[in-house]
Amino acid sequence: MAKTITNYFEELRGTRVWRSVFRSGTGSSPLHRALAVQQNVFLHLFSTKVRTRMLSFSTTWYLGTLTLGTFLILVGTGIPLMFYYHPSVPQAYADTKDLQFVVSSGLFLRNLHRWSAHAMVFLVFAHMFKVFYRGAYRPPREFNWVIGVILLLITLLLSYTGYLLPWDQLAFWAITVGSNIASAVPVMGNKVHFLMLGGNVVNANALLRFYVLHCMILPLVAILFVAIHFWRIRKDGGLYAHQSEPKTVAAQSVPAVTKGVPVQ
Amino acid sequence: MSDSKSDPKDFIAGMDSNARRSPTRVVFVTRRTSAQVKVADEDQVQTYPELLFRAVVAIEVLAIALVGMALLFNAPLEGIADPSHTPNPAKAPWYFLGLQEMLHYFPPVVAGVLVPGLVVMALIVIPYFNINIEAEGLFLKDRKRRVPIFYAAVAALCVFLLSFDVYVALGPTLIVAAFMLLAVQSSPHSTSAFRRGLAAKPLSFWIMTWFLFELTVLTAVGTFFRGPGWSWVLPWRS
Amino acid sequence: MQSSSQSKKDSLSSLWQTLFGHPVRAFGVVSLLLLLFLAIAPAKNHFSEWRHYQKQYLALIRSRGDAVTLERRFHDHDGIQQIWLPQLGVVDRCTSCHAGLKEAGLADVSSQPFRKHPVIPHTLDQYGCVMCHRGQGPATTVEEAHRSTLAWEQPILPARYVQSSCGQCHRAPLTGTPQLNLGRNLLGRYGCVHCHTIKLPDGSAIKPTDDPPSLEHVADKTTREWIYAWLKDPQAYAVTATMPNFKLSDPDARDVSAFLTASSTPLAGDTAPVPQDQKAPDPTAGASLYGESFCASCHAVQNAAGNVVGGDVGPELTRVGTKVKPEWLRAWLRNPRVYDSGTAMPHYRLSDPQLSLLTAFLGNKTDSDLLANVHLDAATPEQIAHGKLLVTEYGCASCHAINGIKKPDNFAPELTRVGSKPLTQIVFLPGMTHAIPDYIAAKIRQPRSFGSALKMPQFSLAPAQIDALTTALLSLTDRAHDLPLALTVPAKPASNYQPAGKAGTLMSDLACFSCHAINGRGGDMAPDLTWEGSSVQRPWLLAFLKNPGTLRPALIRRMPRFNLSDDDAKELTDYIMTAYQTPAFDRDSMPSGGYPPAQVEQGKQLFYSKYACQGCHIVDTKVDKGYVGPTLTQVGSRLNAAWVYHWLKEPQTMRAGTIEPNRNMTDEDARALTAFLMTQKGSSKQEAKK
Repeated sequence: MAKTITNYFEELRGTRVWRSVFRSGTGSSPLHRALAVQQNVFLHLFSTKVRTRMLSFSTTWYLGTLTLGTFLILVGTGIPLMFYYHPSVPQAYADTKDLQFVVSSGLFLRNLHRWSAHAMVFLVFAHMFKVFYRGAYRPPREFNWVIGVILLLITLLLSYTGYLLPWDQLAFWAITVGSNIASAVPVMGNKVHFLMLGGNVVNANALLRFYVLHCMILPLVAILFVAIHFWRIRKDGGLYAHQSEPKTVAAQSVPAVTKGVPVQ
Repeated sequence: MSDSKSDPKDFIAGMDSNARRSPTRVVFVTRRTSAQVKVADEDQVQTYPELLFRAVVAIEVLAIALVGMALLFNAPLEGIADPSHTPNPAKAPWYFLGLQEMLHYFPPVVAGVLVPGLVVMALIVIPYFNINIEAEGLFLKDRKRRVPIFYAAVAALCVFLLSFDVYVALGPTLIVAAFMLLAVQSSPHSTSAFRRGLAAKPLSFWIMTWFLFELTVLTAVGTFFRGPGWSWVLPWRS
Repeated sequence: MQSSSQSKKDSLSSLWQTLFGHPVRAFGVVSLLLLLFLAIAPAKNHFSEWRHYQKQYLALIRSRGDAVTLERRFHDHDGIQQIWLPQLGVVDRCTSCHAGLKEAGLADVSSQPFRKHPVIPHTLDQYGCVMCHRGQGPATTVEEAHRSTLAWEQPILPARYVQSSCGQCHRAPLTGTPQLNLGRNLLGRYGCVHCHTIKLPDGSAIKPTDDPPSLEHVADKTTREWIYAWLKDPQAYAVTATMPNFKLSDPDARDVSAFLTASSTPLAGDTAPVPQDQKAPDPTAGASLYGESFCASCHAVQNAAGNVVGGDVGPELTRVGTKVKPEWLRAWLRNPRVYDSGTAMPHYRLSDPQLSLLTAFLGNKTDSDLLANVHLDAATPEQIAHGKLLVTEYGCASCHAINGIKKPDNFAPELTRVGSKPLTQIVFLPGMTHAIPDYIAAKIRQPRSFGSALKMPQFSLAPAQIDALTTALLSLTDRAHDLPLALTVPAKPASNYQPAGKAGTLMSDLACFSCHAINGRGGDMAPDLTWEGSSVQRPWLLAFLKNPGTLRPALIRRMPRFNLSDDDAKELTDYIMTAYQTPAFDRDSMPSGGYPPAQVEQGKQLFYSKYACQGCHIVDTKVDKGYVGPTLTQVGSRLNAAWVYHWLKEPQTMRAGTIEPNRNMTDEDARALTAFLMTQKGSSKQEAKK
């Protein structure tokens, strides 16, 4: 059966329409497969080939991939949630109630969004520590590490701005507590606090500000940096392969080269 | 290192993302981590379908887990925001509870601005310090100087934490210090793989581990063990 | 065995290989699984509770005779229902499941959620459900709509407190909410608001109505032993006492009584010795003087059967002889305003012999058991100092004036919004339902059960009173305060009307306002006198004030005789006749007599046949049996003709709330009836003979 599906799929790939969309055309030769990646605006961020051992679960635990997964889920659930939400007081809270009680599968959407958001924060942290312990921040990947740190901050900001949107007690006081920390910045603390909330306390202005950041600015910035992050993996020579090299490779290692010598 | 030397059989010339034109990259090679420029020896597979399908399957498995969770557990929702009724305790999102726990001990400038600022700075500069890239065992070189500095640093940190009554953060510090002490005593030629590993751990490893440990403990304490007035509570007794 | 497990393992691994062996195949399998999981969400949506109840409702109505109409009405509004009233902040989806609320045809259905709503003055679409019943209106699940959840603290209000919801908008008493009215009354009557401030949405505060006595001269009035016994158990002295029990220990009660006695200052006049005149007064004469003075209209006495009989304006007098000192009692009866200028007690102008009679009569109302076990040694300065400390701690001065202690402000927590108090701010007792009504009721029932160190005393309240108080407190919600004022029905503003001049002083002295209301101020025991000057004839009023007769023979409470001097009576009559006139008509527009006999005869016919007034009123004592309204045998000499005429035309305009029906009389009928009534001038002497 699997065979037939494959046949149908191959036929589909041969049609004019398909080929007008995907320039790689039919065939499953390495060339076609490489083209499939290279000629696709999204996939061309990846290299056409990867080291086999990078595929094994233990190398990366797929943490970066999974983080991307949560991000995609968040975009996918966030957009329908936006249809039902007004960033105004007290309508925001009523909308959250409506999502829970009236909107078809609204509660499910909100649950999935909420849990995915928590999962994303957790995965970003896990990804960072995994990369660190593998030593994968080493040159030439140092800038990609910095982008990773920026993505960590963006993720935290995304989660934090989204936290206020239900406009319930939990949201209000979490943001109040969190934003009060900004007041502690020396000299300009109160200005920062004011800029952040659009006022001196968490109110409708803060809600609107957080909404715009959460649904518009931060996702766009995140997408931009995620793109750079992936693109840099290819440009920096694929996933870092050093520390967990298989024994066989290590055994063949040539005598150590003097450190600091650039190698092409 | 690049894909330029990969097996030409897998590669048809002409459509290549020419590695020769990509910028020259610099690799610092240490004595231990020999230069594995012989990437040519490594097996490679096509990104499509090998990697992409695996990635998609991984994402789908995660999605199934999250969908299951979303079906079983409802996202928290409390009463409408009311500025006149402060809940006790008022807690930040969980990933900031480590910070909030620190705010309980230190003045806001330290816990709220200085510490997170320094953490972010430290994270950014990690790959730009040679010591991190060499990643040599902390006590393999210059022991005479480094061991006393280590003792002094741990003692200073403990005194600092004690003077602010941060007993929560003391535990992880002491545990990490104990392992470091073991690392001092371990040689890279030890018969035990564990001790060999300890001896080879660089400074950045120890600092990051300490940071991870503290982050986990403080966040867990702030999330589960803090009740009204930020006093100690047991999560299973509510 | 081994081979079978081996083959099992093999088949498992080959299955695994088939499903996940290749990334593409794994992709297909996992994708299917994900789609399956995703499909659960809409399925869950489809099997929601409200759909389940709507199906049940359909099954219910299909089995009925009027199925077609009911079903059409139901299908006109399919799916989730809601009542949306933005102005009131109401989004109520209760009708999604409670589908039959408005169906008069379902009156016999008793099972929820399909019961019909009982008839109330408001419609569902105007006010929604949550305004009255609480609970979470927007919810569409049983649990979330009815119970207390994190997202919605207020669960459904138990039905026995539902009147509290009326009180959110209606500040004035409603006939349909006796429990709420009683509760509000009790808040003042039991002096709750002395300690707990309760502000109303209009900014005013509920005022206490219990008038706790000043203790500045308490030693003139009573003994330290009595104070001790009273503190230990106020209800042992008088079952109707509103004073709560502070549960003082013996030494504490001893010290408080020591301090109160020591801080009391003597008042000139209170200590005047009782004249040791003549023989012992006749007890029966005392009893009849007590009766003639209608003391029982305000004061109650517990009879032998244990029933408390009498009014509740003044204190119960069952054991008054054990409490008060005879010389003080005599001085009090002579003129109560010397001891307490604001007392509700009228100043009877009693003669010396009458004073002796009444003092002796009341002095005999003793209870030897009350103080039998109270033996107090002379107070030491330490005890007095400790007593002062206790008096301060327990906030005695919140209610009573006490020398040397200032009235504390906000002694107890404010209760202005107690009906919406966040549950997180409440410490519940173990095993208690986490809901506001339960908390309030428990707190009133046994305040000290929330901690023995609490100061709130134990009130002596019947279960119905506790429910009433809880109802009144539950009405003090955020909604009550946040509703636009235009949507509330305010109470009549309290009047502080005070008549001027000599007559005003006289009216205060006689405590007219204790029973009569004038211009919105005063009690409701006796008729409203706001327009008395328009309604009565001067000679009758003068005679009535000198010697009040009986207007309504069915009533036990009557206007007592104050022994007014001629001057005082004339002063009062003049004032009433001039000041209390209605602007609606001219008092002298109709003559008080001299109507043509034909008109009088026509009036008589109307009285007995067309309007059948004799059902409630008596004109001819021989034949009429009406005891509902006042007797009209002397109405021609008592009432003003123009008043009678207008009264007959529109009684409710003349006195709001009177039970006299408005018969929509023509002018001619009213004139004829007036003519007939004005001929009824029978003298009181004649009546007495009959």
